[in-house]
Amino acid sequence: MASVTALPDRTLAAARPAGSGRVFGLAYVSLVYAFFYIPIVVIILFAFSGRSIPALPLEHFTTRWFHEALDDRQLVASLWSSTWIALLTAVMATAIGMPAAMVLAWRPFRGKAIIFGLILSPIIIPQMVVGISLLLLFRYSPQLLGTIGIVIAHTTLTLCFSVMIFYSRLLGFRRSLIEAAMDLGASEPRVFFEVILPLTTPAILAVMLLTFTESFGEFIVAWFVAGFEETLPIAIWTSLRFGLSPKINAIATLIMIVSITLSAFAQFWILRQTRGKPAQPRP
Amino acid sequence: MSTVDTTAELRAARDSSRARSYMERQGRWKSVAGLAPIVVWQIVFFVVPLALLAVYSFWRLVNYRVDYTFTLYNYLDIFSNRLLLDALLLSLQVAVVVTIVCAILAYPIAYFIAKKAGRWRTLLLILVIVPFWTSFILRAYAWKLLLGERGFINSGLTILGALDEPISYLLYSPVATSIGLIYAFLPFYILPLYTSIDKVQDSWLAAAQDLGATPMRAFFEVTFPLCVPGLVVGAVFTFIFAVGDYVIPQLLGGGKSLLIAQAIVLEFETSQNWPGGAALSMVLLVIILAILAATLRWIRMEDVV
Repeated sequence: MASVTALPDRTLAAARPAGSGRVFGLAYVSLVYAFFYIPIVVIILFAFSGRSIPALPLEHFTTRWFHEALDDRQLVASLWSSTWIALLTAVMATAIGMPAAMVLAWRPFRGKAIIFGLILSPIIIPQMVVGISLLLLFRYSPQLLGTIGIVIAHTTLTLCFSVMIFYSRLLGFRRSLIEAAMDLGASEPRVFFEVILPLTTPAILAVMLLTFTESFGEFIVAWFVAGFEETLPIAIWTSLRFGLSPKINAIATLIMIVSITLSAFAQFWILRQTRGKPAQPRP
Repeated sequence: MSTVDTTAELRAARDSSRARSYMERQGRWKSVAGLAPIVVWQIVFFVVPLALLAVYSFWRLVNYRVDYTFTLYNYLDIFSNRLLLDALLLSLQVAVVVTIVCAILAYPIAYFIAKKAGRWRTLLLILVIVPFWTSFILRAYAWKLLLGERGFINSGLTILGALDEPISYLLYSPVATSIGLIYAFLPFYILPLYTSIDKVQDSWLAAAQDLGATPMRAFFEVTFPLCVPGLVVGAVFTFIFAVGDYVIPQLLGGGKSLLIAQAIVLEFETSQNWPGGAALSMVLLVIILAILAATLRWIRMEDVV
């Protein structure tokens, strides 16, 4: 009996994609993607509207808010300090994460799970708690509060991405290439610089782009350990206390274009390298 | 989180003996050298600070100074202080609602990307994640623009004539907070679900149907049970992120009904009561660790990062 009913069922299933289910599915998917992107579009829309508060109706097109934002010395200073902090974080996370990932991916040793636990556990701790506990630590060396403190905090937050992206890349590394190089008489440093490094360059770039983006936009941890330093997210947070201004929309538009472009490139790289899923940001 | 990707490692271990001898010649000290920086870093800047937090929570603020004698005062205070207890309960409630809504919204999307999207798959996956690499604070700000009394939704509906006067409760309410949190954490639910749905082979479904199952039955008896790990991992992470978030409740929820994260910041910044704030943070951590411990058997590392 079962085998008799099976046939029409499967032909039905094959015919279904053209039907109403498909239309419904597409509509649903479009709605959720709209939900993802409408907030971003709204920020950008108000950045170009002539009204002095970000509200409807939109008025004449203007780039005035971009000029005002870029003329605001404090805002631009915070933009630069965020950029420096993010650059330093990207370098630190790569320099510390890559050697660790090489050992984790290539060398068998006992207690690997513990090391992984130690590296990954910052993911599950609310960022605010990470910030607060670092603040407690820096109480014993207050001179670290500020730029250095933020770089330390951001490196701690981003090391887990860095290690995991390198780890998945290095697991799939064809080690016959190392073998070939050694057969041809290459020394160990030469194998590293002429085989391993060039082949992991895409992963290095992806890690640097992602950790840069993550650090650049991070607010809450930086806020706790910033001292008198002001990063761009801190500057935005402070100005939100004094009401909404299209200037924020203008600077936000600039940042979003840069970070979306950078992370999209990085994600394409990662997907091509690992054939897996894209790397997730931390909230 | 403890299980390492063993198949890939086995494959790696089987790799040619020559390459392996290269690795071995690196010597034990080299693997120590590779791991030492990260281990030291994590201990100094992650483990020690958390230990400090735990220690602080057992001290007490007396006359604006920290009294360094062991006490359970802060913990007892949390469970007798109505305001703090309410904040804790509201946080849990909001996080549960956010997690459930995210699960319902995420499943069809993950299913679509994994099974129906065809060549659009990579693009759709990247489109899920890319907006979330933009600054968290900007995404929260965007919802402030959308939900405010003179915001996009209210003034849009007023202009269209659907509203006579703006809906004032859109912003500064637990509802606004929940919307913001759903927006922020939906991708964290979609990705693990995608991974587990992606693993369900079409041939298994075909087999089920050959054996007489309707597509509906094949879904509920083949696809869905195999998605349980993804559902659990997504739920755990959405919940953890939602329960501990500060920026969104502060920007969208306003100050009327506090969430736990806002209460922690108030203790630290306004009251300067660091031991009290530390105890609240510890309660939050214990809740998170309990949830993780209860669900650990479903969580594999590849789903986390």
